[in-house]
Amino acid sequence: MSFDDLIGTDGLSAEEEAKLRRVHQLLVAAGPPPELSSDLSLPPVPNDEADPPEVAYLFRRRRGRALVIALAAALAAFVGGYAFGHSKGKPVAFTPVRTVTMHGTSTGASHGVINIAQKDSVGNWPMKVEVSGLPQQTNRTAYYELWLTRDGKAVAPCGSFRVNAKTTRVQLSVSYPLKTYDGWVVTAQTGQRDGLGPVVLTT
Amino acid sequence: MALSLPRMLPVSTTDGELIERAAGGDRSAFELLYQRYARPVFGLALRRLGDRGRAEDAVQETFASIWRSAGTYRPDRGPGAPWLYAVARNAIVDRARNRTEIPADIPDEPAREAGPAELAEQGWVSWRVHRALEELNEREREVISLAYWSGLSQSEVAEFLDIPLGTVKTRTRAALARLAEILGDEFE
Repeated sequence: MSFDDLIGTDGLSAEEEAKLRRVHQLLVAAGPPPELSSDLSLPPVPNDEADPPEVAYLFRRRRGRALVIALAAALAAFVGGYAFGHSKGKPVAFTPVRTVTMHGTSTGASHGVINIAQKDSVGNWPMKVEVSGLPQQTNRTAYYELWLTRDGKAVAPCGSFRVNAKTTRVQLSVSYPLKTYDGWVVTAQTGQRDGLGPVVLTT
Repeated sequence: MALSLPRMLPVSTTDGELIERAAGGDRSAFELLYQRYARPVFGLALRRLGDRGRAEDAVQETFASIWRSAGTYRPDRGPGAPWLYAVARNAIVDRARNRTEIPADIPDEPAREAGPAELAEQGWVSWRVHRALEELNEREREVISLAYWSGLSQSEVAEFLDIPLGTVKTRTRAALARLAEILGDEFE
């Protein structure tokens, strides 16, 4: 999007406009900052000794433990979803605290945005998901599924949806500890019990 | 992934001051440096190494190096950001050298990718911009992220955030002004 479309020049002095244009160019040149995985949520633990500190090697290598945690997270999601579905609390205003963007894996036309609100009192993360440019389902049973990933693998399902317009918006809620995952993907599912479908959007 | 670290030091503490404190063994200073620079280091590593796993290792190694060599930082030679960039670049280059893959064929044509100088310039720009983004508040970062990298039009951003289109423009303009202030005259 051009500077004029994004910002406009109304009310800006020539000096201010030049400064903002420069920042605009830098943002475009820099590109989006990468999402940090859970492995990078904390710094390595420095050693108290004078010698070089030990590097805290990464959790992602402990795949067995990751599997156990993924299974626990799936169970937590089920319980959380049940609790959410049966809660009688009043709805609260949706205020995003984090935004995640996704891009298409095959064409540049598709993309998605996940706006995540503050965790509610029972431990669910409400989310507003918007996807654009995804093709409509090929049959009546097909759908798209949003997943959390670890090490690039879809491990925790977050909800399914169908699209019937250029842009589709849905509200979902998950109870996973989001910090323990490193990304999001959307897969295209046929609904024929054929396992994980192809990834169509990814962070 | 949001970083949530204790802020025991004023946010106005400069990078150079944090490096000096880290040299004296101050872990909260080191953690604040990490909070400020983990994403820029990761971005630089990803750009250079092209692999998330290796880039994550490079981030860990970079910050281990920062802790180890903070005592070599000399504030009279310049601010902290370029020093941190140099430490990160060295750690990432070391990791890149450890690559064992050998290309199957030697290409006949000259590479079309950017050369080393160009890559360094791109890396430095991203480094500073991503570092500056860490200084924005959540609302400012959100509107910049949606406006620049979500692929949504401004009307769609307005609809998505459930705010008027004019507010999107105002917020975007304010966030850019804040970034200009943070980046200072480094790029002028």
